Amino acid sequence: MYTELTVWTRGIIMDKEGRDIVNSVSASARKEGKYAQAMENYVDNPDRTNCPTRKYCRVSDEILENELTYENENPNVVVLVEGTMVKGWDYMRGMPPGGTLVINTHYTPEYMIRFVPGPERLAQLVCVDAAKIADHKWLYYRLGELGLDRLSTEGAAERNKSIAPDIAAPLIAAVVKTTGIVKIETIQPMIANQHAFKLALEELHIMPLNPVAA
Amino acid sequence: MSTKGTKIPERLTITFAGITPAPSQEKGQDLFPTGNWRSIRPVYRDKLPPCNNACGTNEKIQGYLDLVKRGKYLDAYALIKEDMPFPSVTGRVCYHPCEQACNRGKYDEAISIRAVERFLGDLGQALAKDVVKPGKANGKKVAVVGSGPAGHSAAYQLARLGYNVTIFEKSPKAGGLNRGGIPDWVLPQDVLDREIERLVELGITIKTNVEVGRDVSWDDLKKNYDACVLAVGLIDANSVRAEGEDKEGVHYGLPFLRDIGMGTSKVKLGPRVAVIGGGNTAIDCAREALRQGAVEVTMITVEGGPHEMPAVPEDLHDMLEEGVELIHGRAVTAVHGNGRIEALQLHPAKFSGAINASPIAVDKEAQPHRFPVDNVIIAVGQRPSLKWLPDEFKNERGTIKIDRFGRLGDTNFFAAGDIVQLGSGQPLMVVNAVGDGKRVAFNLDKVLRGVPLEPRTIPVDVIFDLNRMNMTYFPHFPRVKQELLAPTSRRRTQEEVIQPFSEEQAVEEANRCFSCGTCNACDNCYLVCPEPCIVRDVRSNGLYKILVDYCKGCRVCIEECPTGCLEGVPELDFDAGVVRMDTAFAISPGLHGRQAEELKHLGERAAKNI
Repeated sequence: MYTELTVWTRGIIMDKEGRDIVNSVSASARKEGKYAQAMENYVDNPDRTNCPTRKYCRVSDEILENELTYENENPNVVVLVEGTMVKGWDYMRGMPPGGTLVINTHYTPEYMIRFVPGPERLAQLVCVDAAKIADHKWLYYRLGELGLDRLSTEGAAERNKSIAPDIAAPLIAAVVKTTGIVKIETIQPMIANQHAFKLALEELHIMPLNPVAA
Repeated sequence: MSTKGTKIPERLTITFAGITPAPSQEKGQDLFPTGNWRSIRPVYRDKLPPCNNACGTNEKIQGYLDLVKRGKYLDAYALIKEDMPFPSVTGRVCYHPCEQACNRGKYDEAISIRAVERFLGDLGQALAKDVVKPGKANGKKVAVVGSGPAGHSAAYQLARLGYNVTIFEKSPKAGGLNRGGIPDWVLPQDVLDREIERLVELGITIKTNVEVGRDVSWDDLKKNYDACVLAVGLIDANSVRAEGEDKEGVHYGLPFLRDIGMGTSKVKLGPRVAVIGGGNTAIDCAREALRQGAVEVTMITVEGGPHEMPAVPEDLHDMLEEGVELIHGRAVTAVHGNGRIEALQLHPAKFSGAINASPIAVDKEAQPHRFPVDNVIIAVGQRPSLKWLPDEFKNERGTIKIDRFGRLGDTNFFAAGDIVQLGSGQPLMVVNAVGDGKRVAFNLDKVLRGVPLEPRTIPVDVIFDLNRMNMTYFPHFPRVKQELLAPTSRRRTQEEVIQPFSEEQAVEEANRCFSCGTCNACDNCYLVCPEPCIVRDVRSNGLYKILVDYCKGCRVCIEECPTGCLEGVPELDFDAGVVRMDTAFAISPGLHGRQAEELKHLGERAAKNI
């Protein structure tokens, strides 16, 4: 079983959230005895506010043959850390049938599906209102004003250095619950925001689409 | 920025010695469209400025102030004429609800909108030919009864729509309340005459000395015209129901002013005059009384103080400057005298409920006060005179019963102005009558064309909050004052009290306008955008465009928009027009895989080949 997870996130302002997702998933996978790898996007040098940037993770039962390829070419799971990204790119590129798309948004999957390119490849579309669940006050409640929050530290000056203290927690919960890429009980102890993690397990909006026969 | 890994479209590549150079600046936007960095999109969305909203006829005030700023006076005049047939009149007489609503009033002082309107109105008067043309004739005939503000406005709009309009006026001169209710020192007769001429130039027939009910009957109107607008106003003066009110020397406000206006007045005032009432007509009567030779004028009101009087504060101030005395909290209960008035009997009184909208409670127990006078002018409002109107169209207030479109049942008769606004809570002012006339004219047009009527829409987004604008762009600046004649000299003359603005003053005052919520082509967004992604050809409102493929949603333009017309809309609210970009940040698929394949064979190569 080989699974690729690609996280699309916004440069600088949401960089750490994306990194937390891939790091915690790959660390849990290794704990479960799998082969796993997590990496940043080394290609585009996207150190600009709001610029799209990717984080990759691979989990496999076998040894990873492509460990020197720093790009997921056929992601099975795609996470959009900020909802608007659904419009901007072909993040579905290379996705094999039976994939999962997780979006952080307050909209319903029924609304968001119209923006997804090639939704026939999806087995499920998952929307989770991570900003609300994580009760993130200082930034994500003001998503409309993102451009104003120019931290320009790429996560280096975060007050909290723990894993997933904020909106990453509900997103990790969404990924793990809907795909089973790792076990919930393995990953849960790593998460700083336990409340948001548990709440998100209950509050996912899952739209089943085209399941692939096993 | 490195172009390594970038999928450069064929049309943008310039191959030179096998190298594709970095894109030039001008091609950069094509190559690196960064529109997908954006989570909010700046959108130009004009809101309604509070002045436009407050105006009785919804003049596009911000619009014409903006044109005056740029020296486009004729355009400004044309814009004002869309809603207002006689800016030279309202520029003098209007109670300017726009200035009360003006957001600048919360900042320093409200814009002197009325003075600018008068400047434009006077400019229009000086034109040999008016900018307004009659509409293409549609062969339909409409009668308008009454040539006051509402009738004038309805006739004007109908003529612009192509109707053949005839106005019936019972007085020897057209103008209605504009002529009969407003003294010369506020509105000179020749200004009004010129505006009436403009109506005639539009092809409107004005028949004076024709009274509906006497010379023209309801059935005549019904038979001879396709439709009719009744703008008859309130003609009969209210009395104070005091004992001996019929004595010689007792006058009523509006007839007093009307006769002077029409030049038919035979009134000779004694030295001591009392004016009963606390409204605008009462103030005009008091000031007119001084000009008609009275020495001591006293105003007697039921209201408890000057602040309670339903009058325009500036007019009250000007009246007090001219030396009129005020007595508050008193009602006239009897007029004493032997044939001719000698004194008034006053009792303490107050409104039993809301000011000016509830019965007056007179304290008859208290000791009456004797107030010696030679004349008294009673100005406590007017009432309708509608004997000629079929009873089915009268309502319990004694005015005309209309639906919300100003229509009488399902007839082609419409009514507008004071005759329908009395008791509706709307102040009975010129500009409100003009607005009513305008709306009724448009409704009448729809009925005759068979188009369904629509109720007035309530504007949803009016800017009242200064925080929605960027106030750092507006330095404090005092209001340009209109000069007044000195109080002592104006007491005896019919010359205009308030002096007009010069061109410089009008431009200076218009320059103070915030343009609340409306793009006024200040070019600020165009200049502050850190990327060149706001474009325009001509510097003009509504011609700015945002290159959405490139705008990163940094909000700088929104924050820096002085007027607050630019707003940020979440990108996801735009559910159409998805632009999926293949950019430097979404590299061609599989590139790294191909590189990695080569990397696997690194060990097999000789060191020098690496």
